[in-house]
Amino acid sequence: MMNNLQYFLIPFLDWHIMGLLWGGVLAGIWVGAIPGLSGTMAVSLLISFTFSWELNNALAVMCGVFVGAVYGGAITAILLNIPGAPAAIATGMDGYPLAKKGLAGKAIGLCTTVSFFASMVGVVTLAVAAPIIANFALKFSPRDFFLLAAMGILLIGSIGGGDPVKGIMAGVVGILISMVGMDPSTGELRYTFGNLNLMAGISFVTAMIGLFGVSEALTQFRDSRAKSPKQDLTKIMPDWTTFKKYLPLALRSSAIGVFIGALPGTGGDVAALLAYDQAKRTIRHPETPFGQGALEGIVAPETANKGAIGGAFIPMLTLGIPGDAITAIMIGALFIHGLRPGPMLMIETPHLFWMIVSMLTISSVALFVLGLLSVRPFSKIIEIPKSIIMPVVIILSVIGTYAIQNSVTDVFYMIGFGALGYFMRLYGYPTGPMVLGIILGPLLDSNYRRAMQGAENEIAQFIAGFFTSPISLFLTLAIAFMLFSQTKTYRKLRGID
Amino acid sequence: MSDEQILNATAPADLSVYVPEKVRKPGEIGFALLGIIFGLLGYYFALDMTHDSYSAPSVFPKIASTIIVLCGLVSLVKAIKREAPAAGETAFGYLLPKDVIVMLVMLLVYCFALPILHFPLASYAFMVIGMIYLHGGKKIIQSFIYSGIALAALVAVFRYVFLVILP
Repeated sequence: MMNNLQYFLIPFLDWHIMGLLWGGVLAGIWVGAIPGLSGTMAVSLLISFTFSWELNNALAVMCGVFVGAVYGGAITAILLNIPGAPAAIATGMDGYPLAKKGLAGKAIGLCTTVSFFASMVGVVTLAVAAPIIANFALKFSPRDFFLLAAMGILLIGSIGGGDPVKGIMAGVVGILISMVGMDPSTGELRYTFGNLNLMAGISFVTAMIGLFGVSEALTQFRDSRAKSPKQDLTKIMPDWTTFKKYLPLALRSSAIGVFIGALPGTGGDVAALLAYDQAKRTIRHPETPFGQGALEGIVAPETANKGAIGGAFIPMLTLGIPGDAITAIMIGALFIHGLRPGPMLMIETPHLFWMIVSMLTISSVALFVLGLLSVRPFSKIIEIPKSIIMPVVIILSVIGTYAIQNSVTDVFYMIGFGALGYFMRLYGYPTGPMVLGIILGPLLDSNYRRAMQGAENEIAQFIAGFFTSPISLFLTLAIAFMLFSQTKTYRKLRGID
Repeated sequence: MSDEQILNATAPADLSVYVPEKVRKPGEIGFALLGIIFGLLGYYFALDMTHDSYSAPSVFPKIASTIIVLCGLVSLVKAIKREAPAAGETAFGYLLPKDVIVMLVMLLVYCFALPILHFPLASYAFMVIGMIYLHGGKKIIQSFIYSGIALAALVAVFRYVFLVILP
């Protein structure tokens, strides 16, 4: 016990590690805020020039960038309705309407505070319950992942923001787009039409930047002479009453985040959307309706995606299985430094586990301080006249798209998605579900097929599986509840307006 | 102004939020029809994929295409049932006001120019021309200066800090 505490305290006492952590968080915030630049990309870049560093230093900068990047994604989502990362898609739904009302400072301030809280929840869970959660997460079968993805698809009703039929249509078009390319199971080409560029599929980041960034810019051009709203920056930090009010929601959403983050293959994006949906279904009377600037719509996704950080480290450190893309890269970094992540890691090198817990703790504090210090300069961005900011946003979108795989073709796809998103907005088809469909499509398709193969291609056996395993049964019941909660009967019973 | 007042203040119209209207938007029927055609084509091309079992690669594309067609039909019927838009309102005029057309064309020209002029020159030209146009032909010197600052910041951050290869 005393040894563990000693390991935990090392980064606090080492100014070099401390500097790398704070620097990493600051860089991560900017990386996350810029659409197209992702934490995954930044951490993979870091591997190339930290492999000769001491392991602790390399891990410090990676942990800092990871935490900062997840937070940074929310900044542009709130200010410009362009999520810096998929995990911030839900945040923009209520954050952007707040910015349009001149409350960007309040939105980012609340986002920063609850992010710190949730990040700490994730770290504490990692420290206390890692082996238990990791063993539970390993029990998930392809059928359970299929059900989890199906739950995600059901969120379309929540994030659609209007006519459910149009929301479903947009989401399913997204799923169909995600099928483009080489089928990962059989290698068969789907919807490629002999075009080599389509064989690798269409990146969801390309679609996201187009559907959110370019379509937003085009929409703004309809009224480009309109003045940008003046931002109220008098009260950035939420007071204790406000924090207390959102504490139960923050706790619930953080727990969702930790658990989803701990599942291999799912991360902050799915967690944030599930938490947003959960908040929308359970909060009876928000001060402002969801989709129009509800603070609950910022608290839920932001706490979930920060909780998912700690969650993602659970299977990585206890089982050697990555919880998400960034932890997958970090496993690579551990290998480079001669370590073998897996069940023996915690036994053979307990100091590593406790130092990572410590690094994530420091990163969370750095996130809180640097995030609050960044609110004012970030909020000023939205006050820049549209005639100046929108051409820059377009260039930013082009760079972000090109950076994914250095392809001008991707830039053309992005413009295509931008134009499509613009037309969809004008006719009331929400763009959020389409991105959700593109993200969840492969998860849904591959796990359905694995589960069906496991059931020997027998539909009856496949369906029976939903009721024979406890996890599948729980998820099936959760889906049934989600469907029921959309009915008028449920809303009447709960007294929800 | 209190937080409550600010929260309840009228926000600019958010086009991403669907508001059911009595009157159909110009071109709405056409857009729903395009959705149906997209779904039908999706199904048609899925027929070429392997379909020998319930776990074949064609299963999800077929299911998705069918749902798209069904949703498109519902949207089409809903659109037809609504009142027609005012006479003289065309889909083209509704979807593509002058500023949007100009910026879209500029964006396409910019993308085609990228491999030829390379990032710094093409982007600078795009930003300068875009800003001057959006300022209504005014603030020419400011547009040159702002574009220069933005370009320098973008190149510094992406090329030299994050080591991103620019087009």
